[in-house]
Amino acid sequence: MKLRHYLFVIILFWGCKEKLPVIEKFGETSYKLVDQNNKEEIFPDFVKDKIVIMNYIFTNCPDICPLSTNNMRLIQERLKKEKIDNVQFVSLSFDPEFDTPEVLRKFADIRNLDLSNWTFLTGDKSTTNSVIKQVGVLAVPSDSTVFKNGRKIYYYVHTDRIQLIDPEGRIRKNYKGSTINVDEIVSDIKKLQ
Amino acid sequence: MKRRLLIIIVIIFAFNLVTPTQQQKSNNSDIQIQKAWARPAAKYANSAFYFVLENNSSRTDTLLGAETKISEEAEIHESYKKDNDRMGMRPAGKIAIKPKSKFEFKPGGFHVMLLGVEKDLHIGDKIEVVLRLKYAGKIKAQAEVRDMPMTKEMKQ
Repeated sequence: MKLRHYLFVIILFWGCKEKLPVIEKFGETSYKLVDQNNKEEIFPDFVKDKIVIMNYIFTNCPDICPLSTNNMRLIQERLKKEKIDNVQFVSLSFDPEFDTPEVLRKFADIRNLDLSNWTFLTGDKSTTNSVIKQVGVLAVPSDSTVFKNGRKIYYYVHTDRIQLIDPEGRIRKNYKGSTINVDEIVSDIKKLQ
Repeated sequence: MKRRLLIIIVIIFAFNLVTPTQQQKSNNSDIQIQKAWARPAAKYANSAFYFVLENNSSRTDTLLGAETKISEEAEIHESYKKDNDRMGMRPAGKIAIKPKSKFEFKPGGFHVMLLGVEKDLHIGDKIEVVLRLKYAGKIKAQAEVRDMPMTKEMKQ
């Protein structure tokens, strides 16, 4: 009876560790992008063998994207506290025409973000579009503001998402970026270790 | 006769001088701005200004707009849910604040968008935004630049 009980607990534990399904895999597909320092990065190759926490932003967004970015920061701080390493944070802009490497660098600097394991990515519009299409993120320009000097900026209707990608480059779980539960994703990261 | 005229002029002058000030003070105490904060932003980028607007008066007042020296434009915006996990943002126009009620401008909802800030807004900086209300007139609000709203533990 006791043995059956232990077996049940072991099976349950094993089941919990394995329960994150594979949503999408990058496989052999890779994308040439640039980081906030204008350094070329091949995604997802440059984060191979690491667990990746990724969100999708545009820096003209003053509300939802900063919320998602701040949640990434909270996850990063929590992982540091729990001494969980081998995790890379990635923020990809789907508005690369505005979000140049310099703009992304300033976006990170003004928030005092720790970029030791966090990369901001941008690139050709066609490439960033291909990435978000593969990962299931939608971003469509909608309303805009025209400044007195004629400058025009667009706001996107976009998927509010943080994704968990395993060391084999497979997307394992989607979360709502602006309202993510930090405990939940940290628990999921532990399952992938 | 001249003396009477002089007295009347003095009374009218005094009335005009005092009344608007009293009115302004009265209206301002009817409207309270609380828990104001703004997001960090690099020069030329956008920030968002959040606060709680409390209408203690007995009539509905309306937030017509905002102005500030800190950015090129200031507009009332709203983040909205498009569908399951898609979010958008749009200009929100005027906001009616019912009598004896509070209206919260908060992340993921209504906010004043500060478009094209004139200088870097670092965490800890202080900014000033003027809100324009239909009855209460212009009300100044001071806000601290932060990455998240102040929680109870942070003690405002």
